[in-house]
Amino acid sequence: MTIVYAPAGKSGKWDGVLDWLQMLSGASLILFMWCHMLLVSSVVISPDLMNAIAWFFEATFMAQVGGPLIFVVFLMHFVLAARKIPFRMDGQKAIWQHARMMHHGDTWLWVIQAVSAMCILVMGSIHMWVVLTDLPITAAKSAARIQGGFWAVFYLFLLPLAELHVGIGFYRIAVKWGFVKDKDRPRFKRGENIVTLMFIGIGLITLIRFLFLATN
Amino acid sequence: MSRLLKFNIFRYNPEDAQSEPHMQEFVLEETDAMTLFIALNRIREEQDPSLQFDFCCRAGICGSCGMVINGRPGLACHTKTKDLPGEITLLPLPVFKLVGDLSVDTGSWFREMYTKTESWIHTEKEFDPEALEERMDNKDAVSIYELERCVECGCCIAACGTARMRDDFLGAAALNRVARFLIDPRDQRSEKDYYEIIGNDMGIFGCMGLLACEDVCPKHLPLQNQLGFLRRKMGITSLKRLFGK
Ligand code: HEM
Ligand code: SF4
Ligand code: SF4
Ligand code: FES
Repeated sequence: MTIVYAPAGKSGKWDGVLDWLQMLSGASLILFMWCHMLLVSSVVISPDLMNAIAWFFEATFMAQVGGPLIFVVFLMHFVLAARKIPFRMDGQKAIWQHARMMHHGDTWLWVIQAVSAMCILVMGSIHMWVVLTDLPITAAKSAARIQGGFWAVFYLFLLPLAELHVGIGFYRIAVKWGFVKDKDRPRFKRGENIVTLMFIGIGLITLIRFLFLATN
Repeated sequence: MSRLLKFNIFRYNPEDAQSEPHMQEFVLEETDAMTLFIALNRIREEQDPSLQFDFCCRAGICGSCGMVINGRPGLACHTKTKDLPGEITLLPLPVFKLVGDLSVDTGSWFREMYTKTESWIHTEKEFDPEALEERMDNKDAVSIYELERCVECGCCIAACGTARMRDDFLGAAALNRVARFLIDPRDQRSEKDYYEIIGNDMGIFGCMGLLACEDVCPKHLPLQNQLGFLRRKMGITSLKRLFGK
């Protein structure tokens, strides 16, 4: 059949592939964040446990190779997702006006996602640089950093921003790709909110534990 | 004693060079079972005959009375004042061309959208006016009917953050329209043909899943499920195209 399409010459050969990559890079970062939480918060149970997990990651070269790899995925995700962020003034104005007009939860969630993204881009890069240029990871070294004060405040901002971004991203993938149907959306959203709050809670407990950990 | 409702209504007549966009206040006594359709007509009859707004069926069927009601796009004839607070702000739908005050031109937008999405059955079969109509599975007919219930009010477009940031974005009504033909067994277009229309950032991959369309649609069309369905279908088609099948 020959069909002449109206939007001629605008075939989106790559748009579908880029959408896959955006979703998959986001999903792998979510997975990474869960593993990350497991490693770091293990210090609450015992610093030795955290050291053992960190040692395992280094002995298997997962930290040396995986670390930079995550950084590449992180940058890739940034480039892909930033296609959706309006960087021009009129676009920014449009989305802010729109969100304020609508009083619509999910629209605000997207604004939070875009704003948190920009903070994570800067703060996450700094954090990764500092940790990965100072291997091996040990509970004592982390505790020393946090007790210095600057990093405690830094993490106090990065933690909720990252968890919000991850939580919203998880929800968004589920509804965008139709893994969660309209009937299950309210329940799924509530569940996701609770999990996000729990993660922020665990993160805070971990920070407090580091503050009172012996550093030698 | 019934409430006195305070209306803040957007006023602007693009035809009149003297006219400046501004908000105008009207006060009206609430009556039993009052809808915004009734309220606006009373304001026009009793207070300001120059007020422009669209109505036709006053029963949620024609889709002409879409406007932004206290921040949310919705049908004025479908909205009861008793469900609203005492102060009601009415704005024209964004995205569409303003005719004047609360009246916008959704017709041209939908006309162009139907051309872009080629919103008709594509078939090579010769039409025989004598023959009996071909039978269709009842399940298919019901799902098509479900998506045909769209009244083209434009609320889902005005509510969509993506559509407001990018004026080439097709929007939920258009994507829903394509889904309607995709499940229609009479349409011979293949998934790759549909990919040419919506397999890009102006189509399904531009949708960011904010779901405002789903939340405002006055006819409660299953937009979220359709968008998910299309994203999966077109996502898989994009991989097939990439690997040259
Ligand atoms: C470099 C900084 C980052 C930027 C600029 C960024 C930006 C964004 C933006 C704008 C979106 C929304 C895209 C859309 O609505 O289509 C998004 C989605 C998402 N982000 Fe990020 N992000 C960053 C880092 C991260 C990190 C570190 C994670 C996880 C640990 C993450 C996980 C996700 C997920 C899962 C989604 C949903 C993906 C989708 O909807 O396809 N992001 N990101
Ligand atoms: S789900 Fe897609 S089409 Fe609907 S409001 Fe959001 S971005 Fe627009
Ligand atoms: S899908 Fe719903 S909101 Fe959109 S135009 Fe149709 S009836 Fe209106
Ligand atoms: S007047 Fe027809 S839908 Fe409101």
